[in-house]
Order: sequence, then C-alpha cells, then structure tokens
Amino acid sequence: MTALLDVAGVTKRFGGLVAVKDVSFALEAGEITGILGPNGAGKTTLFNLLTGFMATDRGIVRFEGRALADLPPHRIVNLGLARTFQLCRPFRGMSVLENASVGCLAPRVRHEGSVTARAQRILEQVGLADKAATLVDVLPYGDLRRLEIARALATRPKLLLLDEPFAGLGSNEIGPLSALIRKLHAEEGLTILIIEHKLREFMQLVRRVIAMDFGEVIAIGPPQEIVRHPRVVEAYIGRTEAPLGLA
Amino acid sequence: MLNILVYGAVTSAIYAMLAVGFTLIFGVARILNLSHGAFYGLGAYAAYVMTGLLHWPLPLAAVVAVGFVAAFGAAMERLLVRPLRSSPLAVLMITLAVALIFEQGMFLLFGSEARNVPAFVTETCACAGLDISGQRLLTLGAGMVVLALLYVFIQKTRLGSAILAISQDPEGAQYMGIPANRIYSVVMGLSAAIAALAGVLTAPFLTVQPTMDLLPMVKAFAIVIVGGLGSIPGSILAALLLGYSETVVSYGISPAWTEIVSLIAVLLTLILRPAGLLGKRAAF
Amino acid sequence: MRRLNKDVVGAVAVLVLLAMAPLVVRSDYFSGILTVSVIYAIWAASWDFMSGLTGRENFGHALFIGAGAYTAAFLNSKLDLSPWWGLPAGALVAVAFSLVVGFPTLRLRGPYFALAMLAAATIMQRLTRIFWQYTGGEEGIPGLDPLFESHLATYYFCLAALVLASVLLLFLARSSWGTILRAIRGDEAACQAAGINVTFYKIAALMISAAVAGAGGALYADYQEAVTPDVFAVSLSITLIIMVYVGGMGTIWGPVGGAILLAMLPELLRGLGEYRLWVYSVVLIFILFYSPGGLVAPLWRWLTRPSS
Repeated sequence: MTALLDVAGVTKRFGGLVAVKDVSFALEAGEITGILGPNGAGKTTLFNLLTGFMATDRGIVRFEGRALADLPPHRIVNLGLARTFQLCRPFRGMSVLENASVGCLAPRVRHEGSVTARAQRILEQVGLADKAATLVDVLPYGDLRRLEIARALATRPKLLLLDEPFAGLGSNEIGPLSALIRKLHAEEGLTILIIEHKLREFMQLVRRVIAMDFGEVIAIGPPQEIVRHPRVVEAYIGRTEAPLGLA
Repeated sequence: MLNILVYGAVTSAIYAMLAVGFTLIFGVARILNLSHGAFYGLGAYAAYVMTGLLHWPLPLAAVVAVGFVAAFGAAMERLLVRPLRSSPLAVLMITLAVALIFEQGMFLLFGSEARNVPAFVTETCACAGLDISGQRLLTLGAGMVVLALLYVFIQKTRLGSAILAISQDPEGAQYMGIPANRIYSVVMGLSAAIAALAGVLTAPFLTVQPTMDLLPMVKAFAIVIVGGLGSIPGSILAALLLGYSETVVSYGISPAWTEIVSLIAVLLTLILRPAGLLGKRAAF
Repeated sequence: MRRLNKDVVGAVAVLVLLAMAPLVVRSDYFSGILTVSVIYAIWAASWDFMSGLTGRENFGHALFIGAGAYTAAFLNSKLDLSPWWGLPAGALVAVAFSLVVGFPTLRLRGPYFALAMLAAATIMQRLTRIFWQYTGGEEGIPGLDPLFESHLATYYFCLAALVLASVLLLFLARSSWGTILRAIRGDEAACQAAGINVTFYKIAALMISAAVAGAGGALYADYQEAVTPDVFAVSLSITLIIMVYVGGMGTIWGPVGGAILLAMLPELLRGLGEYRLWVYSVVLIFILFYSPGGLVAPLWRWLTRPSS
C-alpha cells in the first residue's frame, strides 16, 4: 500500500545553518502522528517544506505517490494537503463565516454546492457556528485556533498538518481542542500530523511520534517508547525548557 | 570615450546620492518615502531663493539649504510620519501628500517656468582634451565625498552603530536602550540632506521647476529596485550601472532613449532577480 | 436585506440628482464639470476594485487611463476610425499594459508593484514627449471626433457608463471574487493555505481595473476631443487615490461619491481651482489622522444606521 505521505531525505539550509537535515518518514492514511522536538528543531520549517511555502534543497516529498517538488502552496492544498499556522493568521476585517468561506472557494471544493451552506456546516463542526457573523478581529485566541482548523477543513483535505495547535491556549481550552481533533479524525477519516514541543495532551492524542532535534529525526515510535528514548531525553536535558514529565 | 567615462561618473554620482538616501530610510525605518524627490527639489529651490532673491553668497546658501531640508525631513518624520506608523499605507500616503504639497507649493510660489541657480564653479575644465563644466566635476567629487563620509559615519560612530542596529532588529535595538524613534528622525534628516545636496549641486545645470521631484524619484526607484531595497552598497552599484548605461545609450544611440534604460533595467530585475543585485541582505 | 434596500435607494437618489443637475443648471461649463467628475468616478471605482479590495496600492493608475486615451486618439486621428472603437480598444490596450507591469510585480511581496506602477506611468509620460512625432508631444493629439455632437448627450453617456461600471464592479466585489480579494488583503499566505491561487486573482483584479480605467480614459479623450501627456500624470494617479480615501476604501460606491465630491468641490468654490491639489493634500492629511475610513462611506453608514 502506498503511503499517503512519503518524505525522503528532505534537507534545507539557510546560509550556514542546516534547518532540516535528511528527514525521512512515511504516513499511512488514517493515522494521527506527531512531530516532537524542542524549539529550533526544524519542525515548522519541515511543515513549510511539505506544504510548498519553502523549496527543499534536497530530498523528495510524495503525496499519494505524486512528487510535490516546486508546486506552489495553493496547488498542494488542492491535492488534499492542508495546514494551519503556528501563529494564527485570520483574514482580518472579515467575519468568521467569510473566513471559513475562503477555504470553500478553493478549486478543489468550489463546485460542491452553496459556499455559505458549506462554510456554515464547517463552523458547526469546529464549534464556531454561533459566532459566524463576528469579526475575527475580536475573537479570543482559542476561537482563532478553531477558525484556522475550519479554514483548512473547508478544503476537504486528506492530510491535515497542524502546527502547534495547543500553543497559547489556556488549560481549559486544551481539552476541548483535543477532543475536536479526535472527532475530526474519527468522523472525516482525516490523516493528521501534529507538531508540538511539549504536551501531555498531545502525547495521548497521537499513535506515533517522530522526534526531531537540530533538524534531524532522532527517533520514531509510539509515545510511550519515545518518552523514554535516550536521545529524546538527552535532547531535553540541558535545555532551559521543562522536560516532558510523562513517565 | 573619455567623455563617456566622465559624464557617466557624474550621472552615477547624482543617482547614487538620490538612491542612497531613499534606500537608507527604507532599510532603517521601513518607510517608502515618496516625498524623497521633494527633498531634492526643496534643496534646489532653497538654493534659488537664497541666491536669487536674498542674494546670499553661494556657499552659505548651499549649507543653509541643505540644513533647512534636513530639518524639514526630520520634522516631517516627527510630526507626520511617526503618529501614523501603525499603518504602512498611511505612511505612504502622507509622504505622497507632502510630495504633492511641495509640487503645488513651488508652482504657486514661483510659477512653472524654470528658475536659475548660479553654479559654484563657473569655469569649465579643459582636461585631457575634454570640456567639462566645473560644476559637474564638483558634483562628482561631492558625491564621492558624501558617500565616503556616510560609510565612515555608519561604521565608525556610535550613532552609526545605533542605526545599523535598528535596521537589523528594531525591537532588539530598543531593548538595548537605543531610542528608535529619535534614530528614525535622524535618518530621515540625513536622507533629506543628501537629496537636498544633490539638488543644490545639480540645480545649476539641470532644471529647477515644480515637477522636478518626479524624475529623480523614478530614477531613485529604478536604482533601488535594481540594487536591492534597503541595501546601500546595492544602490551605489546600481547607480553606477544605470548611470553608465544611460550615458552610453545617450552617446551611442540618442539622448531620448535614456528613459528606456531604467525601464528595461527595472523590468529585467523584477523578472529575473526580484530582490535586486544585493538585496535581501542587511542594509549595510 | 434592509441594509441593501437603503443603499439602493441612496444610489438611485444620487443618480437622479446627477441626471437632473444639468437640466437645472443650464450651463455648458457646469455640465462639463459634471462630465469630468463622472469620469473621475469611473476611474476611482476601478482603482478601488483592485487596490481597495486587495490592499496592494497602485500608484500609477494613470498608466491605464493614458493607455486608453491615447489608443482612442490614435484610432480616431491616425486610422480615421469612428471614436466608438476607442472604448473597447482603449480597454484592451490598458489590459495589455496591466499584464506587462502586473505579471512580474504582483508575484512578489513588498512595494514592488506600487513602485513599478508609478515608474511605468511616469516613463510613459516621458515617452509621449520623447516620441513627439507620433504622439504630438507636449501638445498631444487634438481634433478628435466626439461620440456625440451634443455635450449633454456625452454627459448622459458617461453617466450611463459610470452606472454600468459601478454595477459591474460592485457585483464582483460582493461575490466570491470580493471575498477572495479581501482575504488576499487580510493575509496572502493564509489565502494560499486555503488553496487560492493568489497571484491569479491579483492579476485578474488588476486587468479588470485596467479595462475599466482604460475605457474611462477613452471617454475622457473623447470628451476633451484631444489627448495630452497629462493623462499619464502622477498627480492624476494620486488624485484618484485621495478620492478613494475620501470615499472609503474597499466599498466601490464610496470612491464614486468621493470622486464626484472632490472633482466638483474646487470648481464650485470659486477661486480654488488652481489650489486644487493643495486642497486634496490637506484633505488627505486630515483623513489620515482623524478619519482613516474615509468620509463618504462612514457618513452614509452613520446616516442610515438602524434606529436602536
């Protein structure tokens, strides 16, 4: 069975700095996988490379068997690979419903019926239906997160890349968001790849973890193993960040 | 051949003075100053007023003109630009408004005919079989001196280091106690001064009229795009390239075609290498 | 829907006013001012459609206006074609110009597009002076045939053109086109992440904007029965931007109101004619500091706000 996403030897340097080094892994359809690593590990850069926002220096990315080299981001989205951003990027000056509608206007899903109706349904899925007419400029951060996901969902992706979805959320917002992600995975059959750098909730959400440090993949395995993996532990000791604390 | 060498150098020096100020304020303060050409024009008009109407001696008029425009630039930053910094579009529009006010102001005060500003150096220099006006040579020399002084200023003085810091990381520099806002005013004044100097020097042999701010702006744009927005070495390099290309075209084909040179240069840059020759680097 | 009804009523009222005006004040001079104001409104609306919606400012809109005007002039004066050909031809040539400048620059982030448009318009102005054998240089091309013999008929035709252009642009702006363009203004990267081909929409918007502006330029050449290099002037481009600012950026109808107001204002206040650009600059500065949303659109919205 061809993997949904096949990443082979992807490398990216910025001047003298190698941000992503020879990263390889594969995702099967229907998985929820996580990418774990301290700040600066190259996780967001990897997302940018996978989604066409940056060009790889070396390596091949295949989505459903098709090489993604040099495709612009919007074409990749229309193949079924969507992403959210680490810092929420809503369309300011527009309402929540309009924000979700933009995703519904992607060529991939453009002709699937009334844009407003579909956008409304997506908002219901992520729990923002009651705020449809609100301007995004006044939305609290947790809702902006959901909107990010809604906009990506609107393009009916097969693979959804979430970049630190729990960042900046209060402890009472993390649970509901995690439940939402689980629901989307179950209901839509979405394959999901999540970046986080430390979170208990995250470890309970994903089936498999790809651990990164300094741009390289240092381990791949189920969460319980990764937490105890010597190189992963080493990556966190000696840093000023708190360790995973999940033993 | 020598003609081209010297005239090309003069043109390049003028362009460099125009472009450097423009790219300086953009590289440091991210202000796209559409009134930069107005600084050039103000310098020329100020020189005209002082020599033609007040009958001051030329050197004094020049210094005062440059100083006046520098102060004007700094004041403009402080009063008009700073309050609007939160919206880059508003900043753009306000510099536009200033440019408009300059053009209209000069038109209303002095009418649309060209005005005369006496030259500093009236003799022509017949050197190496070449007749070239002393004023043009002075412009070339002054341009080189100004650029050299600017380099020394940025690299060797405290204020220069502060400017460097702000251009690379405005927030970080502020955490270090560098007063970003004051620096912006200073840089604006500096940028205006260089443009005004170019205006004062070239006024004797180029036209002084209300619409004079336009062409320098277009040239400055072209140079800054070709050289790379925000890069001073890039601007100097592009000024040389464009100055010489125009001179060669002017001698080889016809003076009428010089406009096309900048047009083609800009288009080529945008298509082939949008960041410019030395763009995407720190301003210095 | 009540909001829409109020707006429609307002628009019809203004249209009726404009249509009646030259019949009430019977003066050739006055109907001339009206005609020019209406043409400015067409230009302002076309600018707003692209730059107002996407937030990518175009500082050289006069490029398209001049392209349309000179095309109409060439066709009529050099090729002896009926002036009616000038309208579609002017629009087409303007669109061609928009591709030449827009294609390399709209792909890029940063101020390249704004600068390139400014440079292009200025260079075209210089070129018309340089190649004076073809373009008539500073004097331009005089003696064009008008569309209609009567000035009044020309005015009504321009008014109809304004209505047509406004309806078209408003329709597009209210459709999913408008949503996408406004999203581009909001955040281009996020737009791409939503699967939208941002560059395509920007260029398409520019082409539409250019077509309308070019047709307006042809109308202008027709009304003046002549064309001069002033039609490429930076001051024209800037005047339009100020009109859009006064009207309210991104609304399409706001700029129409702003244009008519600003175009008529200095003429009506006698003696201000020469100081026009100064007045505009001062108005612009005032708006930037105190009313960034413009004057016309916010005023109308305030006047027609639902009574609480």
